[in-house]
Amino acid sequence: MIRHTLTVGWADAPLKRFVDEARLQVAILMHTSGQVLAQVGFQRSLDVQTACALSAAINASAEYLGTMVDGTPFRGLHYAGKGRQIYLGQVPSPDTMLLVLAVFDMESSLGIVQLYVKELQANIAASAPSAVPEEPALAENFEADLNRNLAQLFGRG
Amino acid sequence: MNPYPALVASVTRHRGVTACLVVMEDDGIVVEATAQIGVETAAFAALTASLYRKSARAAAAAGFGGVSFCELEAERGRVLAAGRNGLVMVAVAEPRVNLGLLRLELLRAAAAL
Repeated sequence: MIRHTLTVGWADAPLKRFVDEARLQVAILMHTSGQVLAQVGFQRSLDVQTACALSAAINASAEYLGTMVDGTPFRGLHYAGKGRQIYLGQVPSPDTMLLVLAVFDMESSLGIVQLYVKELQANIAASAPSAVPEEPALAENFEADLNRNLAQLFGRG
Repeated sequence: MNPYPALVASVTRHRGVTACLVVMEDDGIVVEATAQIGVETAAFAALTASLYRKSARAAAAAGFGGVSFCELEAERGRVLAAGRNGLVMVAVAEPRVNLGLLRLELLRAAAAL
């Protein structure tokens, strides 16, 4: 069976809870590659994609910079603007590292966000689905699986 | 020279004080802290700074001016906070603490922030 990666579902509830408790305006949970898992607060998908791409790039830079100057990658980044602030932190899940981007204003603070990021990490670890081992690409029933998946994709399944 | 350890020490020397922290009011980040085992300083600092900030906003909204001191009385202890220049001095105390003396000491320490 060919697997399709779902970008919604299990991560929505932990992220929503994080947003509510930390009083955030916007938050995105994503893979380190920039692929979005869940988001709260964005109105346009283009904004989400842009924010994810930029966050992934910032994380990659911070990881390399941290390794260069401190021997270990930097795990979190905070930037304070005039009215809004961002916090970009790593969230380990059972089989991969995720990133969370949190945008907040005077209603919250860096300390509060960091506090609830810890809770988010625990919630993600508890609710993330366990990794399904990859099946070999050329299994005996490859052709039958392919036909079945194509039929499902085109509504003939 | 860092003046905060001495300010924190002046508060923690009182009997019944279990923790004292200097916290940034806007960020809730710990600047200086002394705490007994069991007090999670980072979480405590973030939440207390938030409480202090919101108390200040509530006072301002009510037309009472700025807040210089706030106190939270709980079942098994007290939290006292006094702020100045974007910093908040927070003390955590057991119910048996000499409240008047601690309040005086905290305000004196906060005046030096």
